[in-house]
Amino acid sequence: MIVVSNNAVVSANELLARQINQEARQNPDSPYAGKFVGLANGQVVAVRDSLRAVLERLGQVEPDPSKCFCLDASADYDRVVEIRRVV
Amino acid sequence: MPAAQWLLHNDRPVIEIVLSGSVGQDLVRSVIADTGAGARREVFPLILDENDCLRYGGTLMGHVQLGGAYTGSFPVYAMNIRIPQLNFDEPVPVVGVSWIPPGFDGIAALKFLSRFHYGNFGHPDYFGLE
Repeated sequence: MIVVSNNAVVSANELLARQINQEARQNPDSPYAGKFVGLANGQVVAVRDSLRAVLERLGQVEPDPSKCFCLDASADYDRVVEIRRVV
Repeated sequence: MPAAQWLLHNDRPVIEIVLSGSVGQDLVRSVIADTGAGARREVFPLILDENDCLRYGGTLMGHVQLGGAYTGSFPVYAMNIRIPQLNFDEPVPVVGVSWIPPGFDGIAALKFLSRFHYGNFGHPDYFGLE
């Protein structure tokens, strides 16, 4: 049995997520473009039209949320979002 | 009268959201309604304490760059959010931070508020959604 640490799983998920995000934003014909994508243990396990559908699938595949990742594949995560100081 | 309304807190508009997850009891969070937080098409509609995101089973969605009141890279989690009065029950992206404005539990950004009609609906002491 191969034991993979949680940190390794998180890193694998994040690396794959970055690749998918880059692909979806550069190529509108990508199967991920405009979709929500679910990852578990470093692998794609769901490509769906809604965040709810992806989370449902992730729950079936991997009950530990810390080993899961989901992303809005075409979203711009790099842009700086300004938050005013409210109080 | 709107379907859901809350008394202003320190003269500021708030809404109450409910976090639900595998930990059992629901958790009610009072978040400031801030139309100045982000734009309508941002990645995330809510900002909460990261501890709440983790306790309530948030699934990591990546990181966003914030500026202004927050500076740097912050994690985004998919969280199940409910507003029972509106029958709202959906997973939404939530930014997890370590500091929240005093007196509040988080920030509802424009992207969240603009999913509803929002305002005081003629009642200056209240903020409502419908």
